[in-house]
Amino acid sequence: MKLKPFHLALALVGLALGVLLSVQFRVTRDTMNTPQISRVQTMAVKVNEARSERDRKQEQLDKLRADLDKIAGGAELGPFREDLKNARIEAGLSEVQGPGVEVTLNDSNTIAKPGENPNLYVLHDEDILRVLNELRAAGAEALAINGQRVLAISEIRCTGPTILINRNQRLTPPFIISAIGHQDNLANSLKMRGGVIETLQFWGIQVNVKKVSQVTIEPLSGGVSFDYAKPAAEGQKLQ
Amino acid sequence: MNKKSMYLSIGLITMILGIMLAIQFRTNRYIEQGVPADRAQELQVELSKLERDSRKLDREIEDLSYKLEQAKKGQLQAEAAVQDELKKARINAGLITVSGPGIEVVMDNPSNQSRRSSIFIIRDEDLLRVVNELRGAGAEAISINGRRLISTSEIRQAGSFININLERVEPPFQVLAIGSPDKLKSALEISGGLVDYFKDLGIEVKIQSHSSLTVPAYHKNLQFNYAKAVRKG
Repeated sequence: MKLKPFHLALALVGLALGVLLSVQFRVTRDTMNTPQISRVQTMAVKVNEARSERDRKQEQLDKLRADLDKIAGGAELGPFREDLKNARIEAGLSEVQGPGVEVTLNDSNTIAKPGENPNLYVLHDEDILRVLNELRAAGAEALAINGQRVLAISEIRCTGPTILINRNQRLTPPFIISAIGHQDNLANSLKMRGGVIETLQFWGIQVNVKKVSQVTIEPLSGGVSFDYAKPAAEGQKLQ
Repeated sequence: MNKKSMYLSIGLITMILGIMLAIQFRTNRYIEQGVPADRAQELQVELSKLERDSRKLDREIEDLSYKLEQAKKGQLQAEAAVQDELKKARINAGLITVSGPGIEVVMDNPSNQSRRSSIFIIRDEDLLRVVNELRGAGAEAISINGRRLISTSEIRQAGSFININLERVEPPFQVLAIGSPDKLKSALEISGGLVDYFKDLGIEVKIQSHSSLTVPAYHKNLQFNYAKAVRKG
């Protein structure tokens, strides 16, 4: 057979195809079998399962509470109802709604000049603490960050660009702080001269306060439980 | 072989080659993006938190189911069940005096009066940071100079004083926190931590572990004028 130029071309193309195919197969197999990826996939499934299970339990619990309240609806139990309602709001067990404000915080757009500390332009846990504190001082009745209820035991911790709250719940920016209370008082307390917003804006941190007629704050998932603190015995002396 | 079929076959092969190349590139890119190294760890943290939440909920469900059963037996039992539920909510809300192991932190302004510029006195931010650190270390109940901190408690500078729960507190500040004494103590004393920081400012900090201390209840009336509980179930 006479060798024609196109035979050579075909052979070359065939070779290239073969190499590509084998590489392709190896790569695809590797991708599926990489322990990292398969582990993450299994874990993602597990996390989703755990989340839906938790939500299901939360629903069940809400229903049980409602049932108990219905029984408590009798006239004799009337006086407890108000106390129970208030205590549950304060303990973060109830979902609450009301007028209030939403404060959105995000890192600065300002680019640090050479030699400047870029840290100055980044949102810190302390900034969030100060905003929360200011809202509390202005009479906020319920607070949340990105939907996570802020309670008496809630810490705010900076870890890189994210913050941790309520025992390792990770939140990412932008941070939206919701507060229920008197709208004008809440907004003005932040906006006042020399106040928190002015300080933050000096560093270019983006702050936006919006009055919202209906803020909804979810209960703390899992609720609060104390392992160390026990109700004090009657008549025990205060330290 | 005529020319037409040759072109056709070469064309076909080239096309397949093209497709293969495209797939190859895509796969490669996918791998490069891959999964960040800490992704698995992050998921693990989330998973254990969800599981912890679930366990807490299980306990609550069990407890409530029992109460509900009791409550169905009669008026007296119903009253007891609701009272018990109320007590639990009040403990969690900080409306009941609690005691347990914990630490006592006493902070005072520097005694050197000549240096008494406002930088060197304890400000609201300092207390906020201490409280936040204690919360991060798992404190379950915290009070400052006898004022229990609940979810709505502010710690706020008002002139040269600090207000907590709308009441003036004055130095020395005595912070009581219930929780694991070791964890609480080390959270503050960690090198480069708050105690070090305050020492640099000349603020005295004394930390003492107690096997049992008492944190008073929030003593004002809780009133919600704006926040309304949403009915569920």
